Amino acid sequence: MDHLDPEQLARYALGDDVPLGTDEQAHLAACDTCRTEIEELRQLADLGHELRPDDRLDPAPPQVWDRVVDELGLREREPAPSSQYGGVAPRRDRRRLVFVGAVAAAVGLIAGALGARVLSSDEIAPQPQPVATTRLDPLEGKTGDGVADLIKSGGNTELRVGVNGLPAPQGFYELWLINTDGERMVSLGVLDPTTGGTFAVPPNLTSQGYRIVDVSLEPDDGKPEHSRDSVIRGTLPT
Amino acid sequence: MVSADRVLRVRPVEPGDLSAAEVAAGFAAGHEEALAEVYRRWSALVHGIALKMLGDRADAEDVTQQVFVSAWRGRSTFDPTTGSLPAWLVGITKHRIADRLAARSRDQRTLAAVGGIREDMRAAPTDDRVVDRLVLADEISRLDDPRRTILGLVFYEDQTYAQIAERLNLPLGTVKSHVRRGLLHLRDRLREVTGGPSGS
Repeated sequence: MDHLDPEQLARYALGDDVPLGTDEQAHLAACDTCRTEIEELRQLADLGHELRPDDRLDPAPPQVWDRVVDELGLREREPAPSSQYGGVAPRRDRRRLVFVGAVAAAVGLIAGALGARVLSSDEIAPQPQPVATTRLDPLEGKTGDGVADLIKSGGNTELRVGVNGLPAPQGFYELWLINTDGERMVSLGVLDPTTGGTFAVPPNLTSQGYRIVDVSLEPDDGKPEHSRDSVIRGTLPT
Repeated sequence: MVSADRVLRVRPVEPGDLSAAEVAAGFAAGHEEALAEVYRRWSALVHGIALKMLGDRADAEDVTQQVFVSAWRGRSTFDPTTGSLPAWLVGITKHRIADRLAARSRDQRTLAAVGGIREDMRAAPTDDRVVDRLVLADEISRLDDPRRTILGLVFYEDQTYAQIAERLNLPLGTVKSHVRRGLLHLRDRLREVTGGPSGS
């Protein structure tokens, strides 16, 4: 028979509990190529399990690029955006441009009752006081609400988001920071609608105008762009 | 209140989504905008490796600057037809880190000579396993969600597929499929950057 297909190799390497058919087993016993690939994938999975939280990469501060430009005397002065925006794991500079009506900046000013939960693990230790807070209100025709706290602790900036009443999704919820210039947005990661979450925010992002906190419902279609299906939203005050 | 359709014609900011090969070719040909793109793509990794090995932010920033300056000045020694640009950059990074550690070691010897201090803190060589781990962390961070989050939960937090499925409200089969395809993708990426999961 032919070599095992890559997903089968990965499944085997991960030790997923799926028995191979007799044909596959016979092939594997005889095929060095497939066994080598499995071993390679297994080593990679082992390496992955060695990852520690402090392996998450810290972007170089923007002035490093300025120094490179100065030292080399380049004409190219395009700022190199620091390249990690992270929730669970940092993300590269997949900043997405988004064209938002200027009114978007005014979102989040509506008052009302609120009972958002915060992460239970955050309730144990005393929390630093948020430097900015906004309610997250449903967009037209949507249900749910929440609250987002911007927290600065040491050198780190985090956004702590608690949500209530988001419907069980077809797909998943994603948390975004949208710039009030209506042109740029960044993804902070997947938001669990039952527990909320705390997300690392690159320093100075909010002072650059990324103050609109947006939760979107994303279909599991492999497309990284914002689905345009925003559910709740609010704007952090300056 | 703003309706959802006010938001969002979305496009990625990355200029033209250049392929890695196009960026490498532009870099070798001396296009400054290719250097900027190379910096955007790889500076976090270079800086991350330097910070991990040197443990000092100022030193890590200096090394990051040096790596991109010497990469640009030495671009004629990079052949995009035979090697991968990230692998080449990682190689330069290791050299600059070794230089910095050697300089520290010299400083310590000087101190030892002056003050009778024992010379017991020799510079450690860069650990390839650590570099591989950071390359992997960098590549995980480049995945698109939900795959990025799922692989992060598998590797950083050792969560089971069932836990992840419940936490993200995704079907179990979807989670498994993302892990498998993600692993295959990461394998391909590490082959390019380091020559293999266990380093070249």
